[in-house]
Amino acid sequence: MKKLIAMVLAVLMTLSLASCSNADNPGNSKAPENNSPAGGNDLTDSTGYKQYGKIVLWTLAKDLEQFADRYEEQTGCEVEVVVFDSADFQTKIMQTLGAKSKDVDVFVGEPQMLPNFYEAGFCADLSALDNEVKTRLVDYTYEAGCDSDGVLRAISYQACPGSVIYRRDLAQEVFGTDDPDEIGKLFSSFSTIEDTAAKLKEKGYTIFGDTGALRWFSISSNPWVRDGQIIVDQDRLDYFDCAVELYQKNYVAFAKEWSAPWYASMAGPLPQLADSDDVWGMDKDELMSEGQAGGDNITQVFSYVMPSWGALIVRDNAEGNKGKFGVCSGVCSFFGGGTFLTVNEFSQNKEAAQQFIEFCTLNDDTAQWWLEVSNGDVVNNKAVLEANKDFQNESFGNQNTYGFYAKEMEKIDYSLITGYDDACKEAFGAAVMSVQKGQQTKEEALKEFYTTVITTYPELSVPADAPVTLD
Amino acid sequence: MAAPVKVKQPRQKAKGGTLERRNYYGILFCLPFVIAFLVFNVYPVFRTLQMSFMNYKGFGKETFIWFDNYKRAFGDKLFWSAFVNTLKMWGVNIVLQLGLALLLTIIFNDMKYRMRGLSIFRAIFYLPNLIACTSVAFLFKTLLDWQYGTMNQMLMGAGIISSPINWLTGEGLTAQMVVGVVGAWMWFGNSFIMLMAGVQGIDRSYFEAATLDGANRWQVFARITMPLLRPIMLYVAVTSLIGGLQLFDLPYLMSGTKGDPGRSLFTAVFYFYDMAFNKNQMGYAAALAFVLFLIIAVFCAIAFKLMNKKED
Repeated sequence: MKKLIAMVLAVLMTLSLASCSNADNPGNSKAPENNSPAGGNDLTDSTGYKQYGKIVLWTLAKDLEQFADRYEEQTGCEVEVVVFDSADFQTKIMQTLGAKSKDVDVFVGEPQMLPNFYEAGFCADLSALDNEVKTRLVDYTYEAGCDSDGVLRAISYQACPGSVIYRRDLAQEVFGTDDPDEIGKLFSSFSTIEDTAAKLKEKGYTIFGDTGALRWFSISSNPWVRDGQIIVDQDRLDYFDCAVELYQKNYVAFAKEWSAPWYASMAGPLPQLADSDDVWGMDKDELMSEGQAGGDNITQVFSYVMPSWGALIVRDNAEGNKGKFGVCSGVCSFFGGGTFLTVNEFSQNKEAAQQFIEFCTLNDDTAQWWLEVSNGDVVNNKAVLEANKDFQNESFGNQNTYGFYAKEMEKIDYSLITGYDDACKEAFGAAVMSVQKGQQTKEEALKEFYTTVITTYPELSVPADAPVTLD
Repeated sequence: MAAPVKVKQPRQKAKGGTLERRNYYGILFCLPFVIAFLVFNVYPVFRTLQMSFMNYKGFGKETFIWFDNYKRAFGDKLFWSAFVNTLKMWGVNIVLQLGLALLLTIIFNDMKYRMRGLSIFRAIFYLPNLIACTSVAFLFKTLLDWQYGTMNQMLMGAGIISSPINWLTGEGLTAQMVVGVVGAWMWFGNSFIMLMAGVQGIDRSYFEAATLDGANRWQVFARITMPLLRPIMLYVAVTSLIGGLQLFDLPYLMSGTKGDPGRSLFTAVFYFYDMAFNKNQMGYAAALAFVLFLIIAVFCAIAFKLMNKKED
């Protein structure tokens, strides 16, 4: 009897070990209840939506919880939303869908992640919606949603065109105008940015929180990589020089993006910092108090270069400055971020998933609802953008911000985007920084930039007409 | 002569069946560990080796490319620079770790000091080993904060420095030294325990004989303790080297996951982690992992050779 018990225990230990290894892997867990096709039927209710069982959505953006609630209200179909931290999201998707999990029906991706998801075969073919997406949504969001063969696999409800978000009151004081077109001219090239920064400095203001703001303009007329060669054109060299000059002449506040001083700068004056300051340990309220107290070493940040969602961040942190901002164009049009929805290739509820995506992205009522509920998010539905183009945004001095962003997104050239952009931008930024700090000469830094990129991606090469020659 | 009669012994029939034989039970009880070991240790090693010969992003197709990843690894300047960073951090770490552990071992073994509460001190010294690396990194990032950190406040208060030192975000070498020092603080307790065990394993009669012969404390230490402790010290150094060359978590967390300032906290493991999970070059990262494995193997072989030579 004892031996029998011992044998049973040994088997149990083995089995429990195996079950432990499965516990953390959603890919191996059982399918959620009601997730089978039997959970729904193909009946179409009075709203025109088919009735399906519950679907599961994995997302980075909490926005989609609101979309799911509205979808449930209007269709009676349930959506379980699971929100992940952005740092873990891509890895989570890679692990889960790499195991061909059927537990996720819809998942999201940002433009930089999407090519990996397409290549891995995680995104179902949505080409049945191709024509609608192409005609009704903004072009660049359609292109970002297509894989390398041009097959539609992801659709967004947002557009995130870039802008320069500037202080109208400071513009009036320094330049005598706060008109977006006039201010846009001050940011139309890197040389005008240097002049603008110098004029602002004379009045005690700084043009940006940090020179990192210029990185958004790093893709102006050429991609980072073309025909396997790394492109550093004159625009990029100008960007390099401009970033070094703004840094070395203290034309920026040294308030790095996402740090407390950066947020504090949106609300008013703050102490002029130095690059050596550790901004990450600083307290926003303390900085604002110091700024309000005044003194010689106090400055104000004039502008922020960010995609359209950045304008909402500025607005939400503006406090007393709310309504004093405007948006205008910069050196070039760009975009950043945006949530794209896609159907899991391995889902057993593809129709239900596609219906949800259609509801979120191709329904004009939903787009109008989201524009109002989000209080300023820019949708990519052309009809809704057109309908709201005259909307006067109080937070931005009654400017027609939707009209402005609609024009900006039309100028975005998605063909300039490559899979090497992040690595090139990171290495170029490091090169700029080393020259700013006097650690390297421009030539040395550019050589290091090329070396870093070609070491990371050996398939790339340095063109013969590159500004520097590698040893 | 009659042939001897063979008496056939009746075979003892096992009760119940084959599983009741003791050695089968042994296999059964080992099974959980063996399965876990095969799945979580052996399989990953062979899978990594297989991937190292592939052009593989971690998803999509795998293409066999022979030794291309290895050729690339040997010419990868960034990898070797990360390896040098690792050596620098480990160098600071091992000198302090062993030095401190040895000093404490001497103090605790010296008859003159008659230190009491060895078990309490041993537990206290070992404590940093038990703290999660994330907590240690956060603790030291806070203590060494440029503006509000206790360390700068104390040094400035004591008049040792006039302006705050940028420990982790200034010069690369300073940041490397800081990581080495923090590592030494974390792991010196472990070395101390091993050295103490080594000293306590030395026959007391050697010390007594030396004392009777008129040797002073320094002579006892230099002529008896140190030579007999050398194998243990080499063992500590070798195990520290194996761990040190795989340094990842501390610099990763203390550099804010970027390896800054100026990639100075990019270690070899950090580099292939970046290649695998940020640059989606899983095959190449696997080759780098095996290159590092080879380097560690070579270092270990040299160390063991030295150890054996000394013992001879």
